[in-house]
Amino acid sequence: MSLRISTGPHVLTRESTQTLMLDVLIALAPATVAGVYLFGLKAAWVLCASVLSAVLSEFVWQKLMKKKSTLNDLSAVVTGLILGLNLPSGAPLWLPVIGSAVAVVLVKQLFGGLGHNFMNPAMFGRAFLLASWPARMTKFLLPERLLGASQAAFGADMASGATPLVPQKLGLTPDVALSDLFLGNIPGTIGEVCKIAILIGFVYLVAVKVITWHIPVFFVGTVALFSWVLGKDPLVAILSGGVLFGAVFMATDYVTNPMQKLGQCIFGVGCGAMVVIIRSFGGYPEGVTYAILFMNCLVPLIDRFTNRRVYGTVKSHG
Amino acid sequence: MRKLTFRGGVHPLHDIHEGKEKTRAGAIRPFVAQVVSIPMDMHIGAPSKPIVKAGDRVLMGQLIAEPVGGIGIPVHASVSGTVKAVAEKPMMKRAASMCVDIENDGLDEWTQLAPLGDVEKADPAQIIPAIKAAGICGMGGACFPTHVKLSPPSDKKVDTIILNGAECETFLTADYRLMLEQPERIVNGLRAAMRAMGVSRGLIGIEDNKMEAVEAVKKAAAGREGVEVLVLKTKYPQGGEKQLIQVLTGREVPSGGLPADAGVVVLNVGTAAAIADAVTEGKPLISRVTTVTGCVKEPANLLLRIGTSVQDAVEACGGYTEEAGKIFFGGSMTGSCVPNDTVSVTKANNGIVVFGVKDAVVADETPCIRCGRCVDACPISLNPMAMKQAWKLNKLDDMESKQHVMDCIVCGACSYICPAHQQLTPVFKTAKDIITARRAKK
Repeated sequence: MSLRISTGPHVLTRESTQTLMLDVLIALAPATVAGVYLFGLKAAWVLCASVLSAVLSEFVWQKLMKKKSTLNDLSAVVTGLILGLNLPSGAPLWLPVIGSAVAVVLVKQLFGGLGHNFMNPAMFGRAFLLASWPARMTKFLLPERLLGASQAAFGADMASGATPLVPQKLGLTPDVALSDLFLGNIPGTIGEVCKIAILIGFVYLVAVKVITWHIPVFFVGTVALFSWVLGKDPLVAILSGGVLFGAVFMATDYVTNPMQKLGQCIFGVGCGAMVVIIRSFGGYPEGVTYAILFMNCLVPLIDRFTNRRVYGTVKSHG
Repeated sequence: MRKLTFRGGVHPLHDIHEGKEKTRAGAIRPFVAQVVSIPMDMHIGAPSKPIVKAGDRVLMGQLIAEPVGGIGIPVHASVSGTVKAVAEKPMMKRAASMCVDIENDGLDEWTQLAPLGDVEKADPAQIIPAIKAAGICGMGGACFPTHVKLSPPSDKKVDTIILNGAECETFLTADYRLMLEQPERIVNGLRAAMRAMGVSRGLIGIEDNKMEAVEAVKKAAAGREGVEVLVLKTKYPQGGEKQLIQVLTGREVPSGGLPADAGVVVLNVGTAAAIADAVTEGKPLISRVTTVTGCVKEPANLLLRIGTSVQDAVEACGGYTEEAGKIFFGGSMTGSCVPNDTVSVTKANNGIVVFGVKDAVVADETPCIRCGRCVDACPISLNPMAMKQAWKLNKLDDMESKQHVMDCIVCGACSYICPAHQQLTPVFKTAKDIITARRAKK
């Protein structure tokens, strides 16, 4: 009889990094399907290019560095898909290819691989593209098809495809019905426009306990509150641009948000506040990407001051 | 009613009812082995000194080893018969253990017993000596001598005794069956301990997946002075000493301190039953209920004589159903692995769980993704992720002074919940051992 000896526990959770990433992919499916439906086949090509580039970059990097392949954990697929969903449907295919490669190699692998990056790879990839090719990154096309009965969601003047955030930035109320904002009958990136699809993903992620509600709710709630304080329509503010997508899928990236629930709430509020500040006072009409990246950098600080008191000890800081 | 619970914790094997289904309905069944091999070092403290030699005839309950040192306890024959050997054998510890082997004559002939009588009438001053004479130690797994626990230094004012009937560990149903079938023994034991210590409050905490046991113990406790039964939410490690104290009294054991520093003594329900036997019948601790489950033909709750081998206990349950890959004493969260099935059941073994070869495999570690599940799960509010990082960087001092690793209760919750399957609890246990050894040297 040969028995294995080990320290407990002798049973482990069935969850693994792979199952968690698979759940994220499942949660992204409604937004992906809605994006491809609304923007047509060219959106699918952008997503494919983005995912393939992320996976290939990781594969090639790990081969070159003679590291163990981690493709199985699906994190590269998630990064690629999230980046793709953050791009305009009409983007030339080299854009997602470069973006994903930068995200995976520069942000993730150079810092030591999964779990060691201090910024969200997909977010950084998008910021990199936005800074390098601003015109291509903000040329949003109109949806080819519409979801639900629409009452001419956008006028001829919007044919160039400005998102509803542009008029809001100029202090105007965008001429869009709330239902169209909600269903996605507006210009925008592939994944961010259909809010109902994002919400389905959110409910799924919370239901299977991959994420908790804290970050998304505090993030979106802060955007609504701050926008309202600044005299803007809070509903338009949260249903326009990438707030919902960012709050559900990017701010909740484990690696780059705080460990404690209190810290996560602070992180969510910080993201929301930064979004409104950039939208209202910055040079861009949208600020979700930079808001999240900015807050990513504050995570070590937040973590440091939100440690809970250890049982049986007196509270101490740092 | 609001159910009592603590912050954090996990729900291991929740989808299969904590692994308890196989033995939940099984009434306690006595099993007597042909040969018992009783180790002298079952308890925490110096090993007891054998006073019998090969060839001696011993009676059930007869003293076979005397206590050594301040926290030693005596050991008694668990069967009547002939001493076959007094020799060192490999048991659970790294070094061989001195053991007394007794061949059972099947007569179950008791030695002369000296009971104190009714727990409510016995002289309180006699109770703790009787507990020591009965060789009682913590039967929930720790095996700390009970008479020491009940005699804290005079500067610590204990006002509450808690009986741990949570049985939050997976697979185990021994305490459940004991509470269900013999609640009077448990309540009597609690009352005896309360009177011995002059404590007026006795709380019995039981998880809500054992409501039948709650009813039974409540019935037995009705009308008993100062005894209260409280229902706890089913969550691991609800039965941890620190968690029970926090939940039932609202107090915390200070870091580095003992429950007595919070004015509490915690006993396992099995220990309480043993105390009752010692007081009312004068019987020493020679048998205990142990859940035998996993890959065995007929999983059961056996009343085993101390010193029964794992092999005999498994045979009593119909034998193995497949090749064993791992066997451990206790539940699957904190159980200690046995090196082979010839080792003996001790006073502390509440379970023998057999895993097949497939379930004995250890998962590969993947990189930490900072998901924070370990932080949420830690019932002590430690940061397991950060502690593991410090360990990897060889920062043992940081683990000790900044991250409070010495407060870790080694419950296994963080390791269990980690989706990256990181070795957390084993690392913290090692770190604690190293730091303890280092402190002892100073």
